[in-house]
Amino acid sequence: MTDTGQRNDWASDEMQRRIARRYAADSRFKWYGIGAILLAMGVLVLLLGSIIVTGIPGFTQTQVRLQVSFDPEQFGGSLKGKTPEEVDAAIAAADFSGMIRTGLQSIFPDVTQRRDVRDLTDLVSSGARQKLAQIVREDPGIVGSTVEVWLPTSDDVHTIVNGSMERDVAESDRRLNDKQIAWLETLEKTDSIRGTLSSDFFTGGDSREPEMAGVWGSVVGSFWTLLVTLAVAFPLGVLAAVYLEEFAPKNRWSDLIEVNINNLAAVPSIVFGLLGLAVYLNVMHLPRSAPIVGGLTLALMTMPVIIIAARAALKAVPPSIRAGAMGLGASKVQVTFHHVLPLAMPGILTGVIIGMAHALGETAPLLMIGMVAFIVDIPGGISDAATVLPVQIYLWADSPERAFVEKTSAAIMVLLTFLILMNAVAVLLRKRFERKW
Amino acid sequence: MSTEDAKLKFQTRGVHVFYGDKEAIKGVDLDIYNNEVTALIGPSGCGKSTYLRCLNRMNDTVDGAKVTGSILLDGTDIYDRKVDVVQLRARVGMVFQKPNPFPKSIFENIAYGPRIHGLASKKSEYDAIVETSLKKAGLWNEVSDRLDEPGTSLSGGQQQRLCIARAIAVSPEVILMDEPCSALDPIATARVEELIDELRENYAIVIVTHSMQQAARVSQKTAFFHLGEIVERGHTEQIFTNPREERTRDYITGRFG
Repeated sequence: MTDTGQRNDWASDEMQRRIARRYAADSRFKWYGIGAILLAMGVLVLLLGSIIVTGIPGFTQTQVRLQVSFDPEQFGGSLKGKTPEEVDAAIAAADFSGMIRTGLQSIFPDVTQRRDVRDLTDLVSSGARQKLAQIVREDPGIVGSTVEVWLPTSDDVHTIVNGSMERDVAESDRRLNDKQIAWLETLEKTDSIRGTLSSDFFTGGDSREPEMAGVWGSVVGSFWTLLVTLAVAFPLGVLAAVYLEEFAPKNRWSDLIEVNINNLAAVPSIVFGLLGLAVYLNVMHLPRSAPIVGGLTLALMTMPVIIIAARAALKAVPPSIRAGAMGLGASKVQVTFHHVLPLAMPGILTGVIIGMAHALGETAPLLMIGMVAFIVDIPGGISDAATVLPVQIYLWADSPERAFVEKTSAAIMVLLTFLILMNAVAVLLRKRFERKW
Repeated sequence: MSTEDAKLKFQTRGVHVFYGDKEAIKGVDLDIYNNEVTALIGPSGCGKSTYLRCLNRMNDTVDGAKVTGSILLDGTDIYDRKVDVVQLRARVGMVFQKPNPFPKSIFENIAYGPRIHGLASKKSEYDAIVETSLKKAGLWNEVSDRLDEPGTSLSGGQQQRLCIARAIAVSPEVILMDEPCSALDPIATARVEELIDELRENYAIVIVTHSMQQAARVSQKTAFFHLGEIVERGHTEQIFTNPREERTRDYITGRFG
C-alpha cells in the first residue's frame, strides 16, 4: 500500500465485492429509514383512526319525535302579552316532565303501571325539559297548542341506536330492559327516532348527562385562558429576548440567565401548576378555577419557550443589517425596533404560536389551580370559573357513562383541530415570510 | 495656515485597539484630508478595517473592544464623552464590504437616515433628498421608475451604489468604505470606482481595499498596514512607484500578503 508507484486494481474481485457491499449498505440504510417512517405513520393512523371512529358518534344526538301539548294550566294561563320576567316565572313553575310523559303515553297508551311509566320516560333525556322550556321562552305564544318536537333521548338509547352497545344480549347485560327495547323498536318503526348533528355538543357546557354535554364551555374557557397567557407571555417574552440578544452585555451573568431560561423551559409543567397554586391563589388570592389564574400559570410555562424562539429569530437577522443602520447613525433602540425586530417578527410569531399550542394542550398545571371543576355555565370572562379543553377531556374520560367515551374522543378531535390549525398558521407564516439573505 | 492644514479632516495619533487581551492596532498615526481618497492597504488581519471602524466608533458595538489614543475630527476628539456617537456616525458615513440594503423599498433605504435625524419633514423634501442622493450615486437613471421595489431586488453592484446613496443622504463629511468592491464583478467595480472619484469633490473618503490596482486607481494617499502598524504612508504615486520600505515593495509587488 505504501508503494505509490503500484496501480490499484479496480477490477479485482476484492474491489468488486467491496463495491457490492457498499451498495448493499446504502440500500439497507434507505430501507431502515422508510421502515421507520412507515412504522411511525402506521401508529399515527391507528391512533387518529381509533379516535375518529370512536368520536364520530359523539358529534351526534339521537332524538325522538313527540307530540307535546303545552297545556295553559301548567303556565297559569296564556303567556301572550306577559313580561319576560312573568314568562320566566311561569316556565320555572311548569311541569315539563309531565308534558313529556303525556306525549309518550299518547304513543303507548297501554303503559299505565307506575314502574313502566318511569322506564318509558327514561328513554327521553332529562335535558329534554330544558329543550321544552327553551321553546316556550323563545315563543310564549305556543302555550295552548300541541306541537311536534324532536327531543334528545337518553344516552342509553343513543348508544343502543348508534350501535356502540349491543341490543341482542341478555337483559341483565344492557342498560335498557326488554320492555324499553320493545318501545324503542316501535318508535324506530314509525320513524320517530333520528340521529342528527348535536347542537348541544357544539354550543353547550359540561353536563352530567352525556347527551347534553358540550365542548363550548371548555372551548371558551381555553380561549380566555390563552388570551391571558398571550397577553402576559408575549410582551414579556419578546422584550426579555430583545434585551438579552440586543442590549445585554455578554458576560457571566448573561450566560447564567441564558442557562436558567433553558432550564426553565425544561421544567415539568406540573411544577408550574404548584407555583401558580402557591403564588396566585395562596398569596395573591386570585379567584380559584378562573382563566386568569390558569392563563398566568401557563404564561410562566410558555415564556421561556417564547424567549428561546424569539432569541433564535433575532439571532438569525444578519449583523450586516444592524451595522448598516448603525453606520447611518441609528441608535441602538432605533436599530432594534426599526430593523431587527420587524425582520425577526415572523420567526418570533411562529415560536409564539407553537408555544400557545403547547399551552392549549396543557392539563397538569391547571389541575393544580382548580380548573378541573365541573362547570356547566359558559365562562363570560377571565374571572369566571372555567375549565379548558384538555381538562374537559380528562374529566369525561373519567366519567363512568358509556356515552362519555365517544364524547371524550369527539372532544379530542376538537382539540386536535385547534392544534392543527394553530400549527398550520405557524407553518404558513414561516413559509410566507421566509427570507433569503 | 497652509492649504494642507485647512483640508485636514481626521488627525489620529497613537491609536491602539484592543480586543480583550489582543492588541489589534499598535499605535497608528494618520491624517485624512478633505477632497482626497485615502486608501488603506495591507494583508488580511493587519488591522486596516479595525482602524477604519475607529473613525466612526463602530468598534463600540464590539464586546470587549477598547480604543486608546487620540482621534480628532475637525480638532474634536470623537472619543470624548461629550461627543454624541449618533451624530458622529451621521457625519462619518460608512459603506460595508457586502452590500447591505435594508429589506425595504429603495425609497425607504435612502429616506431612513434623513428620517431618524429629522433632516426633512415633508414628503417633497424626502423626494428631493432621495433623488439627489441617487443621482450622486449614479443610480437614479436605473431605478427612478421603481423606487417602491425592495432594495434587495437590485443587482449586487446596484445594491452597493444604493448603500453609497444611503450614506450620502445624511450629508456626511467623511465616507468610510470597507472593501466596497470585494463582492462585485469587474464592471460593477469600475462603476463604483468612478463614483468614488466623483464623490471626492465633496467628501473625505477612506477606503480599505485588497486590490493594489484599485488603490492605485482611486486614491491620492495610501497607507500600508502590517501587523497592526503603519509601515509606510504617503502619496499613492510615490508608494506604488518608489516605496521607501522593503516590506511595502514586497507587498505591492505581490511577494507576500
